[in-house]
Amino acid sequence: MNAQNKRMPKGGRVDRSHSIEFSFDGEGLAGYRGDTLASALLANGVTLVGRSFKYHRPRGILSAGPEEPNALVTLGTGGRREPNLPATTLELGAGMAAESQNRWPSLAFDVQSANGLFAPFLSAGFYYKTFMGPTRRSWKVYEHFIRRAAGLGRAGTEPDPDRYEVRHAFADVAIIGAGPAGLSAARAAAAAGARVVLIEQDFLLGGQLLAERSDGAAASWLSRVEAELNSFETVTLMKRTSAFGIYDGNVIGLVEQRNQDCPPYSGQARQTVTMLRARSLVFATGAIERPMVFPNNDLPGVMLASAARIYLNRFAVLPGRKIIVATTNDGAWRTAFDLAVAGAEVTVVDLRTTIPPALVVEATRLGVTVRTATRILNLRGGHSVKRATLKGPDGQFEAACDLVCMSGGWSPTVHLASHLGVKPRYREDIGGFVPGVFPANQFGAGAMMGIYATADTNEDGHRAGIEAASFCGKSAPVPAPSKLDLGETVPALLRDFPCAQGGKAFVDFQMDVTTKDIELAHREGYESIEHLKRYTTLGMGTDQGKTSNFPGLSAMAALRGATIPETGTTTFRPPFTPVAIGALAGRATGHHFKPFRRTPMHDWHLANGAEMLEVGLWMRPWFYRQSGADVSEAYVAEMRNVRRAAGLMDISTLGKIDVQGPDAATFLDRIYANGFAKLQVGRARYGVMLRDDGIVFDDGTTTRLAESRFFMTTSTAKAADVLSRLEFLLDTAWPELRVAVSSVSDEWAAMSIAGPESRAILAAAFPSLDVSNEALPHMGSYEGEWRGRALRILRLSYSGERAYEIYVGATAGEQLWSSLLEAGRPLDLKPYGVEALGALRVEKGHVAGPEIDGRTTLDDLGLGRMVGKRSGFVGDVLRRRPALLAHDRQRLVGLECMEDGKRLRGGSVLFRPDEKATGHGRGRVTSVTFSPERDRYVGLALLAGDLATEGSEVVAVYPMKAETVRARIVSPIFLDPQGERLHG
Amino acid sequence: MLRFECPCCGPRDHDEFRYGGDASVRRPAHDDPDPEAWYAYVYVRKNPAGLHREFWQHVTGCRQWLVVERDTRTHVISTVTFARASQA
Amino acid sequence: MASTDFSLSVADCPLIQVEGWDGTLSQFESSLSASLGAKLPASVGETVRHQSLLAIRIAPRRLWLALDDGTQAPALAIDPDLGCSVCLGEGRVRFSLAGVDVPSVLSTCMAVDWHAPAAAPGRAVQTSFHHVPVLLLRTGETACDLIVPRTFSRSLHDWIEDH
Repeated sequence: MNAQNKRMPKGGRVDRSHSIEFSFDGEGLAGYRGDTLASALLANGVTLVGRSFKYHRPRGILSAGPEEPNALVTLGTGGRREPNLPATTLELGAGMAAESQNRWPSLAFDVQSANGLFAPFLSAGFYYKTFMGPTRRSWKVYEHFIRRAAGLGRAGTEPDPDRYEVRHAFADVAIIGAGPAGLSAARAAAAAGARVVLIEQDFLLGGQLLAERSDGAAASWLSRVEAELNSFETVTLMKRTSAFGIYDGNVIGLVEQRNQDCPPYSGQARQTVTMLRARSLVFATGAIERPMVFPNNDLPGVMLASAARIYLNRFAVLPGRKIIVATTNDGAWRTAFDLAVAGAEVTVVDLRTTIPPALVVEATRLGVTVRTATRILNLRGGHSVKRATLKGPDGQFEAACDLVCMSGGWSPTVHLASHLGVKPRYREDIGGFVPGVFPANQFGAGAMMGIYATADTNEDGHRAGIEAASFCGKSAPVPAPSKLDLGETVPALLRDFPCAQGGKAFVDFQMDVTTKDIELAHREGYESIEHLKRYTTLGMGTDQGKTSNFPGLSAMAALRGATIPETGTTTFRPPFTPVAIGALAGRATGHHFKPFRRTPMHDWHLANGAEMLEVGLWMRPWFYRQSGADVSEAYVAEMRNVRRAAGLMDISTLGKIDVQGPDAATFLDRIYANGFAKLQVGRARYGVMLRDDGIVFDDGTTTRLAESRFFMTTSTAKAADVLSRLEFLLDTAWPELRVAVSSVSDEWAAMSIAGPESRAILAAAFPSLDVSNEALPHMGSYEGEWRGRALRILRLSYSGERAYEIYVGATAGEQLWSSLLEAGRPLDLKPYGVEALGALRVEKGHVAGPEIDGRTTLDDLGLGRMVGKRSGFVGDVLRRRPALLAHDRQRLVGLECMEDGKRLRGGSVLFRPDEKATGHGRGRVTSVTFSPERDRYVGLALLAGDLATEGSEVVAVYPMKAETVRARIVSPIFLDPQGERLHG
Repeated sequence: MLRFECPCCGPRDHDEFRYGGDASVRRPAHDDPDPEAWYAYVYVRKNPAGLHREFWQHVTGCRQWLVVERDTRTHVISTVTFARASQA
Repeated sequence: MASTDFSLSVADCPLIQVEGWDGTLSQFESSLSASLGAKLPASVGETVRHQSLLAIRIAPRRLWLALDDGTQAPALAIDPDLGCSVCLGEGRVRFSLAGVDVPSVLSTCMAVDWHAPAAAPGRAVQTSFHHVPVLLLRTGETACDLIVPRTFSRSLHDWIEDH
């Protein structure tokens, strides 16, 4: 291959002073700044760029844009590997190393091209009919090979070292597409006073104007308008940015590629996703050219007519010398003319009988051969096209060629405009779908509305810009639109009816779907457009059917004898083009995946041997390494220390809610199952809240600080839910109650000292306080100060030992924690973690999250007596439903492991000893721990009421580890049932 | 991404809010003893293909509970008002 | 990290929340206003500065009184029949951001329209920073404060610093 042997010596928008070295399948090549990978490959005479999905047929470059189905490459290695990138949209960058896909061992010699021989067995839906049996498991074997045989690129498996970013942005008017319509709209909207964001997927503005000669009227119009837009501070131009989705509320998903031109420096994101919230939207997304459908239309060297023109005029690449331009409309003639002026031998093959005379005159002048009422019957070639078989009014004939340009018409790019459910409608006059009725804050302009002549798209964009700005209340006077008339005739369209004898005629190039597949689908009854898509996979590739959608539904309509509107089109959904998941994640990966919540004593835990655990968003100490070699050893040691001496636990994660107001007591009486209105000032009470349906919602402790002031604690997990629930009731059900509720969870550092020595340690830490049993009894409280911060002490126990919860202003948390440990050192006060915390409460028979799981009632949990004779609280009426009071409901029991050396596991299913252990069993184990008190594993469980007799036996089965263990039913309170340790 | 216009905070993304269910059902008085009334309130819902009045709370904003009228077919939001009558 | 015009500093944030009952709100507010010797912001998002205190309306009946670091809390005699108050200063941290790149850095944190009237200097915006509720106080053309919950502050600080 000669260096850039297809590049014209002059012209185009490439910068010949900047040569760029790149490689394709290991071969070193060169291009220029301003090239895409596709244009650089074509410039170097590379026509074979990939192998097709199923049949591994040789493929070349079909288009010059994101609609490209064939020329998919992989860039990058290791963690940067990115497959399935269309070479037509990749801005050429220095050192770019591209690999073709889906071929082995090489592109030129691909072993799997032999799949073509099996084509009759590989037609649409073959996997629904073949590869079945001899056994049901056989599919798993076949699937492995089928998946390896078909496919596009391979994804990387290593962590991606690049940086990605997600941003949030706002605008008055967002305009998608910077072709003539979009540019005119941007100019008008900016002049009207709106804040405008203009979005363009390419690295140059201009859209279809870039298909025109770079030294003509279109080019100067483009420079003028671009300069004008750059002069507005209120206009943001986003190049290299694809709009991938339109979401409710006029929110647009955008992904921006890093500028290949800028030297990569650390910190700039490789891709940036922007969620742009616009008050009004203008869609100026243009139209996509349709291929023609005839046998072997997928050979390398066959491309869309407009693409050939873009490669010539924008990139100065002449991809062939003997060129056939096959068309059904006027537009492709302009391609023929430009190719002829560049020196190629061109034949126009038009399906129509009557052609506008002006076109024929121009063709004659330029030496272009014209054949009317003629179609291509077949193409021949190996790795690139060599001959065409044509049929005209005079019969069949052959022609040698090295490039075939085809144009089956245009499809307005309605995808984005349809994402919110605005169904496209068919227009007979243009033979294509345009958007349906837009909502008030969305507008369409230009080719995507079926307006094709540049003079008209220009005016239309101008109108849309004014309307979109006016919607935002911006109506400053706007200068007249800048005119541009390129003299196009509105393309009269003849619908192409594929004639497919003598070879495969492709409708969907990427998914290898041919006319025969569509006929098969129709024969088998998969006639609806949605069935056609899924049965044949037409439109399901990375190109999402951009070039195949219309030809496909057109073919099915013809088979059914239906009209196009009757056949309809499939639903367009985001993303319009593929988006890397890394880009959507942005920086929210690794330790930034979610925000972490740290207690005031966090740093102390890290510095003092804590192994930390993620508990929701919180970081909590799991256990302390000085307690034992691993968690199983450590938690038992920590438990023992609490029961023997004292332990210190960081409980800052508890939900804490300030409840105040003249009606606060009334309010609490309504939301708790047990009463609070009569709670004395200075006292705390354990409380349980129910849901409206009578199921237990959450438990906690509420302390009365004053007549109208309460301090409520909730479980860590339910804190946010409880607060929202309280606010809901006050705002919607009882607005007459004068109560304020507010989260103070972050306000207080909280720690608990538990154990026989707790009182002595408290006295040592707070020498001026009276902490005697009389002054601070069980469930009593104290309020004061410590080193200038608010201090609150509640005598509450979760573990069953005498315990005190100590709250201090968060900024003093670590100081008080250290101070307590210092005071308690002589008495063996040691910190303990959440594993031991959970173990201690299980030993005490205290229910928590695993028991309060959204299915259990107060009676199930043995807490029914809390209600007494009360009524009128949330959940009261529905908890009395007969089904919730049934005798055989599962209720709380204690279990003791009966077999030495074995353990109980949470989640085990319980059976009667004489029962076969299958099915749902009669109950489940909810929480377990090793109990130093009983020197064996114990647990809490929910067991069917008719079996829950203390002393009897059950069998606990844990199928995940194939474990079975016998257990005895006992009281759930495994130690100190009289509560002597608590009350002394 | 739904955008709600909170009456006091202005237009916001829906992930600043928490959904609270059907706002057209009548909650019985706190001391209403009738199980049928509570059953209807907790469980029985129409499921309209069209306008739906529902509760949302602006949790990362003013924390007010709001009543939103949303078309369940198109997500078009027609009204947003405070749930608390006096502030509506 | 690319060099940018941006600085971030962290301080404590003494803060009192006051709330008036529905139905007697105007009496509550006149009483509070007299007590502070300052007008109160009229609508949600408005702020009023009075000496070392910034009054912010964060909900229809709820105000935050944010004090400059180191200042003493004012004595508020709130009639319990009209409203109540609670201290929130221990649980909040104040981030101060300044520099031309502030809007760009902030755009990767939260969805706030820097150019909208609601975010103009002197305004307060309560919003979500990665699902964490924060209060943005626009203090200047290229400056703002963020009042963030203390337990999330290090995590959010790391995110901003990683710009």
